Amino acid sequence: MKTRKYLFRLFSLLVLASVVLAACGPAATDAPAATEAPAGDPMTALYEAAKAEGMLTTIALPHDWCNYEGMFNGFKAKYPGIEVNELDPGAGSGEEIEAIKANKDNPGPQAPDVIDVGLAFGPSAKEEGLIQPYKVATWDDIPDSAKDAEGYWYVDYYGVLAFEVNTAEVANPPAEYADLLKPEYNGQVALSGDPLTSNAAIFSVWAAGLSTGATGEEAAQAGLEFFKQLNEAGNFVPIDGDSRTVGIGETPILIDYNYNSIANDIALAGNPDLVTSIPTKGSIAGMYVQAISAYAPHPNAAKLWMEYIYSDEGQLNYAAGFCYPIRYNVMLGAGAVPAEVSAQLPSTEGALFPTIDEINAAKAIITAGWPEVVGVEVKPLP
Amino acid sequence: MKPTTTNSQSVNSTVGGVWRPPRLYLGSLSWLGILPFFVFSALFLIGPTLLLAYRSLEGPQGGLTLDNYRLLVTDTVVNAYGMSIRISLTSAILGGLIGFLIAWAISMGGLPRPLRSITGTFSGVASNFAGVPLAAAYIFTLGRVGVVTALFEVFGVDLYRSGFSLYSFAGLTIVYMYFQIPLMVLVILPALDGLKREWREAAENLGASPGQYWRHVALPVLIPSIMGTMILLFGNAFGAHATAYALTGGLFNLATLLIGQQISGDVLHNPGLGYAVAMGMVMIMAFSILVYSILQRRSERWLR
Amino acid sequence: MTITTAPTSVAVKEQTTRASVRKNRFWSWVIFVVGALYFLVPLAATFYWSLRAEKDTLGFEAYRRLFADANFLPSFSESIVNAVAAILISLLLIVPTAYWVTLRLPKLRQVVEFITLLPFVIPAVVLALALIRLYSRPPLLLTATYDSSRILLVCVYAALSFPYMFRAVDNGLRAMDVRALTEAAQSLGAGWPTILLQVIFPNLRVALLSGALLTFAIVIGELTIALFMAQHTLGPYMANLTRSKVYEPSAMAIVAFAITWAAMGIIQLIGRGQQGQIAGGH
Repeated sequence: MKTRKYLFRLFSLLVLASVVLAACGPAATDAPAATEAPAGDPMTALYEAAKAEGMLTTIALPHDWCNYEGMFNGFKAKYPGIEVNELDPGAGSGEEIEAIKANKDNPGPQAPDVIDVGLAFGPSAKEEGLIQPYKVATWDDIPDSAKDAEGYWYVDYYGVLAFEVNTAEVANPPAEYADLLKPEYNGQVALSGDPLTSNAAIFSVWAAGLSTGATGEEAAQAGLEFFKQLNEAGNFVPIDGDSRTVGIGETPILIDYNYNSIANDIALAGNPDLVTSIPTKGSIAGMYVQAISAYAPHPNAAKLWMEYIYSDEGQLNYAAGFCYPIRYNVMLGAGAVPAEVSAQLPSTEGALFPTIDEINAAKAIITAGWPEVVGVEVKPLP
Repeated sequence: MKPTTTNSQSVNSTVGGVWRPPRLYLGSLSWLGILPFFVFSALFLIGPTLLLAYRSLEGPQGGLTLDNYRLLVTDTVVNAYGMSIRISLTSAILGGLIGFLIAWAISMGGLPRPLRSITGTFSGVASNFAGVPLAAAYIFTLGRVGVVTALFEVFGVDLYRSGFSLYSFAGLTIVYMYFQIPLMVLVILPALDGLKREWREAAENLGASPGQYWRHVALPVLIPSIMGTMILLFGNAFGAHATAYALTGGLFNLATLLIGQQISGDVLHNPGLGYAVAMGMVMIMAFSILVYSILQRRSERWLR
Repeated sequence: MTITTAPTSVAVKEQTTRASVRKNRFWSWVIFVVGALYFLVPLAATFYWSLRAEKDTLGFEAYRRLFADANFLPSFSESIVNAVAAILISLLLIVPTAYWVTLRLPKLRQVVEFITLLPFVIPAVVLALALIRLYSRPPLLLTATYDSSRILLVCVYAALSFPYMFRAVDNGLRAMDVRALTEAAQSLGAGWPTILLQVIFPNLRVALLSGALLTFAIVIGELTIALFMAQHTLGPYMANLTRSKVYEPSAMAIVAFAITWAAMGIIQLIGRGQQGQIAGGH
C-alpha cells in the first residue's frame, strides 16, 4: 500500500514536471514560412525528390564555423519542407568517417548524408567506398587540384592558420611563430586540438616547422622540435584550446584557423578583446572537402545541399564567415562578390597550399613523433 | 498441526491451523526472477561486448587477425594501461577513504539530521558533475588564472612556478575525486545504516574502546561493502574519458583516450587497435573483479 | 545489558561516553567542513565566471541568453523524462536480481557482478558504435525513427546504471537480514510479489534512493551515446554550448546543477514519505 502511494506520487510528479517543462520551454525553432522555390529553378525536380525524402542529416557542422549558421538558415529558407537533422557538431573528420561506416544499413536519423572533412580524407574515403560521386552545377568553377576528377569529393572552403590572442591577458600579441618562444608568453600558448587526432593541430605543428625555413618533410620534424622547445620553456599549455579557454584567459594565445578567430572576436563583443594575427612565415592553408555518403538515407536531399553550398549564395555564406569559398576567384571575376565581403577576407599571400601527398607525409611524421619528442612527462604525486 | 506460540499471527494466516513450512526450493521460480536481467544484459551489455571482441580481431581489410593484439605490447599502449590503472587505483583508494569518512560523519558522527539528506542530494548531483563542466570548473579554480591560484598568490605562493600544474597526474586525481567521493558516500551509506546501535552499546558495556569497537565489530561487517564500493570507484575512474580529455587534451596517455584517438580521431585511425585496447580493459576489469571476490570471500570468513 | 558492580564506574563510563561523543562530533564537523570546501569552491568559481558575461560588470546576462535559447529547456526536459524511465527500468530489474542472487543463487553472484560492472569496461564510444551496429538493421531494427531510438537509449541508460544500482541494493540487502525477513513473510503466507513489494522494497528505501540519484545523474549528463543516437538531450546541448560560447557554459553548469538538485530533492521527498522501516530499527 505504501509502495503504491510512492509510485503513484512519483508518477504524477513526473507527469506534472514534464508537462510544466514542456510548456515552459519555448518551441524549437520552426522552419520559416513556406515559400515556393523560385520559378524556373533548374533544381525543381531535385527539390521535389528531396522534399519527398523529408530530411537532411549533416554532421560536424558547428554553427559558428565558416558561418554554417547562415548556410543552414539559407538552405531552410530556400528549400522549405526538408528537416535539417544536425548530428554532433563537434565531430572530427575521423568521427565523420566512422559515422558513415557504423551506419551502413541504418535508415534512421543517425546516418549522415553529407560530410565535411579534411582534404586528405577525401581520397581515403573514396577508396573505402564510403562516398558517392555527384557533380554540382558549378563543377567547372572548382580548380582541378581541389577536386576528385570523378566527382567523389571537392573542396568547399579554405582558411589559413592564425594566432587568436586575448589582449586582456597578453599586452603584446606575438606576430610570428618564433615570437611564441619568448619568456613573456610563459604558460599562454595552446593548440586547438590534440596533434594525434586533430587536423588543425597537425597543421599548426607543421606550420611552426615551416616558419623556421624548412620545407617538406623536414618542416614536420622541425615543427616537432619547435613544440618541444615551447613545452620545455613552459610556454605551452597542454589543453585543447577553443574560444572558451581563450576568453577566460587560460589559453590566451591559440593557434587556430583565422576564420574561427575572427568569428570568436565578434561573438565575444569585446569581452574580452581578441586580436587575430596571421604569421607571415609559415602560413599554411587548411582545405576542407564535402562529399555525399554512399549509404546516405536521403541522397536527393544530400545532392540538393551540395548544389546549395556551391551556388553563389552558398559560397557567399562561407565568405561571410571569413572563409575563402573555393569558387572565390571565379566569382570575383564575374563580379559576384560584394566589395565589403572581399574586404574582410584575410590575405593568403605566401601561404602554403599543401597537396594530399604532402599532408599525408607530414601527418605521419608528426603523429609518430609527437608522444616521444614532445610528450608530457608524468610528474609523480607530490 | 504444530502451533507456533511465539508468533501469534501465523496462526491466523494458516488454513485450518496447519503450519506450512517455508518454501525454499530451487525451483524455476528463482530463474524467472533473474531472467529479465539476463535478457536485458544480453541485449545491451553482453551483445556489444561480444561485438567489441569480434571487431578487435578485425583487420583493416576486413579479415580476422591477431595483429591488433600484437600492437598491445607496444610502449604507448602499455604506458596507457599503466597510467589508467595508477590513476584509477589512487582515486579509488583516496576517494573511498574520504568518502567513507564523510559518510560516517553524516550518519553516525552526531551532525544535525538535515545535513545528511543535504549531503546525500549533493552527492547525487556532484557525481554527475563530470566531463567538460567539471574540467571547466577546475580550470576556473586551480588553472593558471584560477580563483584558488590567485588566492595562493595573495599569500606569496606561485603555484605553477613551484611545479604544480592542474594538467598533471596530481591535478587529474584531484579532479577525479570530485565524482569519486560522492559515489562512495552514496553507495556506502546504506551499509553504515546497517550498523546497529545495539552492537555499539553492547561493545561499550563489555568494556571496548571506540577503536576496538571499530576494529572488531564495525569494520569486519563493513569490509565487504567497502571493498565492493571501491571496485566500483576503480571502474568508474578506469572508464572515465570526458573529464580526462577535457583536462589534458590527449597529452596524457590514458587507455580511454587512446581508444578515442584510434576510433574517432582525425588522424591515427586504426579502429581495430582501438577495439583491442578496449578488450584489454575488459580483461583488466575482469581480473580486478576476480581479485575483489577472492578478498571478499576471505573477509567474509572474518565475519564468522 | 550487563550491570557493573560499582555505581561510580557507571558514572565514569557515562562521562567518557559523552566525551567521546563530543570528540566524534568535533571530528565530524572538521571532515564535513573540509569536504564542503572541496566541493563548493569549484562551484563558486564557476558561478563567479558565469556572472562576467557583460564586460566589466557582474550580472546575469549569461543566464538570460541561456534561457532565451530555444533548445535549452526542451533538451533538459527530454533528459529528465529519459532519466525517470531509466530509473524505473533499472529498479525493476536489479532489485529482484540482487534479491535472488543473495537468497537463492549465490553461485551466480560472481557472474551477475561481472555483468553489472561491464558498463565500466566498455568505453562509451565503443558501446555506442556497437549499439548502432546491432540495432540498425533487421531483425532488431530500433534506430529507424527518433522515438524508437529514444527507447533504445533509455534501455541502454538503465543498463549503464547497473553498477551503481546493484552495488547500492547489494549494500542495502546486506544491512538487513534478508533471509529472516523472507521466512517471516512466507510463514505469514505471503507470495513472492508481496514479499518483494511490501517487505524488500520498503526496507531498501535508502539504497534505492542512492541508486536512483546516481542513475539520474548518469542520464542527465550522458553525452556520447546520445550523440550517436542523434538524440536532442542535455548532454549534446551542453557540449555544443561549451564549444562555442564562453560564459553561457558556466551559467549552464550552474542551472543544470540547481535543477538536478531540485529533481533529486523531489525524489528524496517521495522516498522519505512515511517514517519507519519494518525491521532492523536503527
